[in-house]
Amino acid sequence: MSGARVSSACAAVLRRDLLLAWRRRGDMALPVLYALIVATLFPFALGPEAQLLARIAGGVVLVTVLLAMLLAFDGLFRPDLEDGSLEQLMLAPQPLPLLLAMKIAAHWLTTALPLMVIAPLMAGMYHLPWPAMKVLLLALLIATPLLSLLGAVLVALTAGTRRSGMLLALMLLPLCVPVVIFAAGAVTAAQQGLPWVAPIAWLGAALALALVLAPLACAAALRIALDA
Amino acid sequence: MTDTSAALLEARGLTFLRRDEPVFGPVDFALRAGEVALIEGDNGSGKTTLMRVLTGLLHADEGSLLLYGEPLSVERASGELAFLGHQLGLKLELSPLENLRVAAGLFGQRKGVSPASALASVGLAGYEHEPVRRLSAGQKKRAALARLLLIPAALWLLDEPYANLDREGIALVNRQVERHAHEGGAVLVTSHGAVTFLNGAYRRIALAS
Repeated sequence: MSGARVSSACAAVLRRDLLLAWRRRGDMALPVLYALIVATLFPFALGPEAQLLARIAGGVVLVTVLLAMLLAFDGLFRPDLEDGSLEQLMLAPQPLPLLLAMKIAAHWLTTALPLMVIAPLMAGMYHLPWPAMKVLLLALLIATPLLSLLGAVLVALTAGTRRSGMLLALMLLPLCVPVVIFAAGAVTAAQQGLPWVAPIAWLGAALALALVLAPLACAAALRIALDA
Repeated sequence: MTDTSAALLEARGLTFLRRDEPVFGPVDFALRAGEVALIEGDNGSGKTTLMRVLTGLLHADEGSLLLYGEPLSVERASGELAFLGHQLGLKLELSPLENLRVAAGLFGQRKGVSPASALASVGLAGYEHEPVRRLSAGQKKRAALARLLLIPAALWLLDEPYANLDREGIALVNRQVERHAHEGGAVLVTSHGAVTFLNGAYRRIALAS
């Protein structure tokens, strides 16, 4: 008999979730389409004035991306909970937080990364200048995994309850606010030619903290959800 | 194994309450390596709940549960036991082979058994690359049974393993269970008691509702 190594277990979980996302790639396109539609509608409502659009560009792109990510959160743990895969994950002789971190990573790769790809396109529609665009992409690169991790904790906390979508949205709102403030703050500062490193550094600090703590919290919450 | 050595799994006065009403218990048993035991009870007598308690996923309210003589926790039990529940833990979009590869990655695999050979021995040769969604209920069950053959766990907890299986499938489960016990493993099987498919005089643990 040969036991499994942690690295091969992590690879197996990551590969499985990426493969599942690929098999259901129609679902993967939904947040991207949603973000594109929302970003396209704003100029129609507000008028095509280039100066105004450039001013709101950072905020619109950030909020759109974060809301689009919200659409996909329900699929993070629920399917695994329903088909018994989560039980198997818990019974595996591997650290559960690490396996869940792999699931969150796969979720980020399949939902946030496509959104990051279209973010320059959306920002371009709003005439966001290139220097600010770079800061926006950097802010998204840090804010989206942070949101994935925070969202995962809340999804895990509400996993035991039925129709948890509404509850999830309400709980995630206060956690989104600081992320949006710091990310948009950095973009605005870059647009005005001010130093923008500080808000990005705050986001980075929060991400470092969430990277360590969120998988642990997810594991504890899901264990409680199954122990009922 | 001698009498002094710790049993693989031992329950002492195990009781589970839901809203202060006992779901089952108190249950006492000891399962040694090489033993097979049948848990019998009517619908709603708490067989599935007992199984989930035995995996360590669910905590009992009273009594104690020992694995190799040490208190059982989900961390301690992980890797030692293989659980087959009503939810099979298979991903419908993936093929049986892909599902088994994930299991092998998580749990490791027995010497001399590969995902493909495990599938062949449950009669799923030729369905390796078919998405599990397209398999029949009985074939899904067989794919889940292949996982038991693949992963190196000493204790099998099988919750209603006969559901959805045809006569050949039932014989297959019995062969698997006997072989596993013969190789030094231990098996707990639940059954609603109307029909018992296991042949041989196995110990029965009755759950009263």
